[in-house]
Formats: sequence, C-alpha cells, structure tokens
Amino acid sequence: MKNDLNLLDARDLLAKKEISSHELTKIYLDNIKKGEELNCYNTVATEHALTEAEKSDIRRKEGKHKSPFDGIPIGIKDLFCTNNIRTTASSRILSNFVPTYESTVTQNCIDAGLINLGKLNCDEFAMGSTNKTSYFGSVINPWQSSQSDAKLVPGGSSGGSAAAVAADLCIASLGTDTGGSIRQPASFTGTVGLKPTYGRVSRWGIVAFASSLDQAGPITKTVEDAAVLLDIISGHDEKDSTSSIKDKENLFENLNGSVKGIKIGIPKEFESNDLPASTQKAWDECKQLLQSNGAEIVDISLPHTMDALPTYYIIAPAEASSNLARYDGVKYGIREEGKNLIEMYEETRSIGFGDEVKRRILIGTYVLSSGYYDAYYIKAQKVRSLIKKDFNDAFQNVDAILTPSTPSTAFAIENEPNDPVQTYLNDIFTVPVNLAGIPAISIPFANDENNLPIGLQLITNSFEEQKLLNIAKNVQDTIDYNHKPNKWWTND
Amino acid sequence: MEFDKNSLLKLGKLSKIKIDDDKLSSLSKDLGSILNFIDRLQSLDTEEVDPTSNSLDQSLVMRDDIAIDKNSANEILENAPEKELDFFSVPKVIE
Repeated sequence: MKNDLNLLDARDLLAKKEISSHELTKIYLDNIKKGEELNCYNTVATEHALTEAEKSDIRRKEGKHKSPFDGIPIGIKDLFCTNNIRTTASSRILSNFVPTYESTVTQNCIDAGLINLGKLNCDEFAMGSTNKTSYFGSVINPWQSSQSDAKLVPGGSSGGSAAAVAADLCIASLGTDTGGSIRQPASFTGTVGLKPTYGRVSRWGIVAFASSLDQAGPITKTVEDAAVLLDIISGHDEKDSTSSIKDKENLFENLNGSVKGIKIGIPKEFESNDLPASTQKAWDECKQLLQSNGAEIVDISLPHTMDALPTYYIIAPAEASSNLARYDGVKYGIREEGKNLIEMYEETRSIGFGDEVKRRILIGTYVLSSGYYDAYYIKAQKVRSLIKKDFNDAFQNVDAILTPSTPSTAFAIENEPNDPVQTYLNDIFTVPVNLAGIPAISIPFANDENNLPIGLQLITNSFEEQKLLNIAKNVQDTIDYNHKPNKWWTND
Repeated sequence: MEFDKNSLLKLGKLSKIKIDDDKLSSLSKDLGSILNFIDRLQSLDTEEVDPTSNSLDQSLVMRDDIAIDKNSANEILENAPEKELDFFSVPKVIE
C-alpha cells in the first residue's frame, strides 16, 4: 500500500473501501516510527489515533461518516491545545501541560473526522525560523543537499508540521503563522503552506504568541489539500472576538485553475542582488508561466517593505511579553521553587523559557515600558498602517502579488548565525503579509542547484483566499513539481 | 551597540526573568543588536498616521451571556504545580 498519500488520494481510497482508517493510521504511525530521527513529533498519540481510527471505520461502515475526509490521519503543531493530549508549545515551561479542552481548530478537524496522529515539534512558543529554539531539539529537514549530507533546518516555526508532510509522517498538518511560520518552512521542505486572512480561522485554544498577527493554517502536499483543510478549520467562532463573521466559503469546491485576465503584481522592493540566482530564476519563470497562461504581469511598489521586519520585531515581542506573562509557575506548567513568590516567578521563568523566548520577552517589555512606549510600540503600529496602506494601494491595480517565499533555500543546522537579527532576516518576504493581515500561500516551484526546494509566495487581498488558491493551482498544475526527498532515514 | 547591563537587569526584574551573570554579556549584545535594528523606524515620518492595532476591519462581536457548565475547579486544577483544597497554592506572601 502506498505510504505517501495526499488528502484527496486518501479520501478516494477510503471511499472505495480499498483501505480502512485503521490501516491508514497504522501506515502513518509506522512512518513516524521509522522517521524518529527527523524529530518531527513532540508527542505521538498512538493509542488515541488507533482508537479514533476504529471509530471512524465503524462510522463509515454505517454510512455515518462525518465528511469525505473522515478517518484521515493528520499532524497538529504542538501549539494547538488538544484535550487529554500533552501540549507543550515546545517549551520546557509547558512540558507537562495536558489541556482539559480542545482548540476550536482541532475541534473542527475532529468534527470532520480527521485523526490526530500527534503533536508536531516547532520553535518554542512559535518564536524562530529554524526550529532550533525547541526545548525538544531541532527538527531535521527531510531534504538534503546534493553537495553534502549535513543536516538542514526545516525552517520555522512550524518546522515539524512542514517536515512531517514532506517526509510522509502525516498526510497533512496544521501550523500557525505569525511572521512566516507556515510559509517559510513550507518553502524549505517543498510543501504547500497557506496563511489565511487574519480572522478567517479561530485562535481560541492556540497557545498565544502575538495575538494581532497569529493565524492558523494548513501545510499540505497540494493546493487542493490546502483548500480542503482551510475549509475544515475556518469559520466564525464566538469564543474568539477577532474571528471574522463572514460566511464560510467552499474553497475546495470552487477551486479552478484559471488565471485569465488576472493581474499579478511584482513588487520592486523584493528584488535584490542578494537573492540566489536559482530563486531569481524560479521567480522569473513563474512570471512567464502566468503570463503565458493568460495573466498580466504588472510592476508595482510596496514602499515600506524594508520597514516591515523592524516593525514586526517591535509588535510581536510586545504582544508576546504580555501573552507570556501567564506562565508563572502557578496555574499550569512547571514550577521552580524560590524563597518567596517573586523569586519563584523569576526562577520558574528563567529555567522554563529558552534564550530566544527570553530575548523577545525582554525586548517586548522594553518597548512597552514607560518612556519608550510611544517611541517604539506606537511608532511601530503607525508604520504598520503604512504597510497595510501599501498593500491596499497595490490591490487597487492588481489581483495578486508574486514574490519569493524566502531569501534562501534550507541551510545547515550548524550554520545558523549567532546574531539573532541575521536569523530574523529569513522572514523578510513573509512578515509584511502578517502585519497587513492578508492571506498568502507558499508553493514549491523548482529545486535549486543543490536539489533543495524553492518556494514562491502568492499574496491576495483580505478574504480573497479563493483567488489565491486558484492562481496557486494554475501554477501547480502547469509546473507539475514532483520532486521528493530521498528517504535517507529509512531502510525501505 | 551593547544594551546597558543595569537596564538589562531592570528589564529582567520587570519581566520576572532571572538573568544569570554568565548570560549578561551575550544578552546585552543580542538586545543591542535587536534595538539597533528596530531603531530604523525612527527615521520615518509618521506624524499624520494613525496606529493599527489589529488588521481586521470589523467591530467587536458580542455573544449572548449564557452560562455553560465547563472548566470545573477540578479540571482547572489538574495542571496546577501545587494545590490545596480547591485553590492554587503559592509561596507565602504575607509574613
């Protein structure tokens, strides 16, 4: 039986009774076992998954399946609270936390019959672009350079989510994206990563990082699968006051790969001599491809592109420092004793948080502190308005924007720069989208000279996911990207 | 640029994070580098610009105030590092 399915493949096999959910789930649990070296999962929910798969098989036998996707096993970023299944945010401070409730997104998955295989490794509290900040260790990218067998980063923060899909340790996965945390790892692993419009998907029950930017989304093998999974997880949730009240759309049903008459903007600020030649080539080829398929390519300007990253590194840490105040050794998580209450807080947070999380809490506290609040935090919120306006202006003239997803392909784990700011630059192409709250997708386009995936990013205006997915499908169907990592971690 | 070490210790106090002596130097270097980076915004003219705190163009949605039977004390206390009776337990605050 094939062990590298996508959601639509699995749906068809289940419908034709060629496989049961129990068999399917076992295949993927077996893949996970063989791929332990990749360190994708913080927690594998073996018994839970098999029990739920059996229930799914009974439902299907009785014709009572919850959706066509009932019984398909997926992986969940370890940032979504899952009832009775440990949820750690890849942090020591939550390393023993077992939620007594289910996040809205994962509940929506349960309501569609999807099976949770386990919790996927990520950067600690989703802060990072390499997955190296996880308390549980780095995730290893299933891809290796043709020039070296050095272990590569999968990107981050949803590194486990992306690597697991690329390595067939789940059929699809859920990630979250605050500054690029779905799209950048998707780009590094040859997978499709979709960040929806802010408000499209409920944040309730997701460990909060930067609440005005956080958004959950799918990481999948295909654009169709991304549409399916977004349809399942999205929709208004009265438990999240920033959840959109817009009606749910049927993105998958309405998916068509037409780009006739569509205008695609190319922002000149994303062009750089530092861009690798292979990435530039992929970007150019994609423009030509879209043009020959009937789209019009238009040069545009997003003047505040280079201001987005510093803006992000004020707003995100500010919100994080506030959100992470709840980890105090009292209500949940670990506690380190101290001589008094204050020392208990300080000791707990000192051993509970890793270096990057501490840096961001400190910077966030600084930019929110008396005397600096206006100069940093309010200033950044004003620049955020300018960035949003750039996109609004651009979308007066174009339907979508095409850029590279990342300034490089995956790099070696040991090559991460020592200066945190250098690591932050990984998100230079993805961060503006989060600040504007608009949707974007990264799709694999080609492999570079070292056989590593290059992702391209498409961006549309708020709540235009249908258009976004249609264009992405057009590109996907035209190029037929069919590279796969050679599974060096198995003996198969 | 290095971040002043005394200010860093003060930030640690505000953030309730103990900063060990052996981390002080590398941390002040890191924060200095980040501050240098975010200072880029100071050169932008934003006099006439309103701040954006949230990108969603929607006013706050209210829901009906209906009691639900969830999150019992027992459930909530399941994850508490220390508890006594139906309460979270913390080190003594008043002598």
